[in-house]
Amino acid sequence: MIEVEGLTKRYGSTLAVDELSFSVAQGTVTGFLGPNGAGKSTTLRALLGLVRPDGGRATILGRRYRDLDRPAEQVGAVLETTDAHPGRSGRNHLRVLARAARLPVSRVDEVLELVELGEAARRRVKGYSLGMRQRLGLAAALLGDPEALVLDEPANGLDPQGIRWLRDLVRRLAAEGRAVLISSHVLSEIAQTVDDVVIIHRGRLVRQATMAEVDALAAGAARVRSPEVERLTTLVTAAGIDWSSLGDGALAVSAPPERVGEIAAANGVVLHELTAERASLEEVFLELTGGGET
Amino acid sequence: MSALVAAELVKLRTTRAWMGYLAAAVLLTGLGAAGRLGSAQRIELGTQAFQRNLLSHSLVSGLLALVVGVVIVTVEWRHGTITRTFLVTPRRERVLLAKAAVAALAGAILALVSVAVVLAVAVPWLAADGATLRVLGLAPVVGRVVLAAALWGLLGAALGAVVQSQAVGLVLAILGVLIVEPLLGALLVLLGLDRAADFLPARALEALESTGDAGISPAGGAAVGLAYAVIVGALGCVRVLRRDLT
Repeated sequence: MIEVEGLTKRYGSTLAVDELSFSVAQGTVTGFLGPNGAGKSTTLRALLGLVRPDGGRATILGRRYRDLDRPAEQVGAVLETTDAHPGRSGRNHLRVLARAARLPVSRVDEVLELVELGEAARRRVKGYSLGMRQRLGLAAALLGDPEALVLDEPANGLDPQGIRWLRDLVRRLAAEGRAVLISSHVLSEIAQTVDDVVIIHRGRLVRQATMAEVDALAAGAARVRSPEVERLTTLVTAAGIDWSSLGDGALAVSAPPERVGEIAAANGVVLHELTAERASLEEVFLELTGGGET
Repeated sequence: MSALVAAELVKLRTTRAWMGYLAAAVLLTGLGAAGRLGSAQRIELGTQAFQRNLLSHSLVSGLLALVVGVVIVTVEWRHGTITRTFLVTPRRERVLLAKAAVAALAGAILALVSVAVVLAVAVPWLAADGATLRVLGLAPVVGRVVLAAALWGLLGAALGAVVQSQAVGLVLAILGVLIVEPLLGALLVLLGLDRAADFLPARALEALESTGDAGISPAGGAAVGLAYAVIVGALGCVRVLRRDLT
């Protein structure tokens, strides 16, 4: 649904995004991860037609953003900056957008309810907290009931309850079949929300993986390779352990290697590899992005 | 396109800036009219020439319309709202066209308000001095004042698109009209290029409000004003289309 192919963008002599490629499928939540300055915002802005790429392409529903017929109903976006006039009320801000996008004004009250902005909507944006501004941004993104969502660091400024609320909302939106791309510089912040991760560093792709694979890299996980992989997966599943296939007879298993070894030995399964993976999510992330440096 | 114009009108209505524009229009034109009436010879008051002049206070409502045009475009960059605007309407040229239309409309409305204020001051003043207002002769003047202000608004929006920065836009607009153009005009006249001086924007739009006996004709003035707006606007459009929003 969202395709980025060989995207390149430079600002003066700085290469912000360097031949980046990845994709986001319908109905999935993809985390877009990288340290500050990795090129996440530039990539998202290129995807949204706000920045002109120097090379490659970024498309949504097979088209460049500029060529979408009804962008508000196809893509909803929340970017880092606040984008409402401080002197206008939140509700009027949304009314303006509904007008421009030819959406019924009734949508304004629907999305206000959805983001739980409530009575604050009639006050001027000037007096909003950071969290309220984020909610207003989300309301603007959801106004057209879009098929895809692009969120740039949406958890910034939200308190723990707000983050939990956002997590539930995003999961619900994805369950309705939408594609969600959500950026963050903290893996643990979005680990519970996302299905897949795209990790970038210095404008380049480090890894696109499922969250299960990343989890397997983290603490209490093991990587195991066996010529009898079908038997092994049956046994592991029977033991109530999550796993995901890494291909080529390899599995990422969310259990310590001792446990996997015992299961294999008890059932006479031949193992060709059994590796402990004991890093925390943040360590995995740091290692992956640090790896891009060398 | 009509949806975008409607959206721009809602934008204009839903902040308090318009109150400031109205207050400025009322105050400046009211004071200007009172000043002219007060300093006029009694015998002049009833003449059509004086009454025309009273209404075509071009620079005040023109400058105000120019400022409003600049602000209508640049306010979006000042507050970062342009990002959301272009997310909803990625065809940036359409947004600019809608803004230009609203800037012209705002200029026209401010000019109408100014005319109303001048009349509100002038009618009782003239009546007190026993002179009458020659309403019929003044109707075309009102039309031209309104058209000139609409063109000023358009020019403001065009300038705003070129510079995008509100501070730069306002300084350029005000200095340009009050200082640069008069100096340039004087220089051209000094060099014997009076005809060329007539084609400067403020002079051309002044000609639109005049009787047409000096310099270019009113229609010519309107055409020159429109040409400025179109050329500057095209440049602004190119700049806005190329600009990265980071």
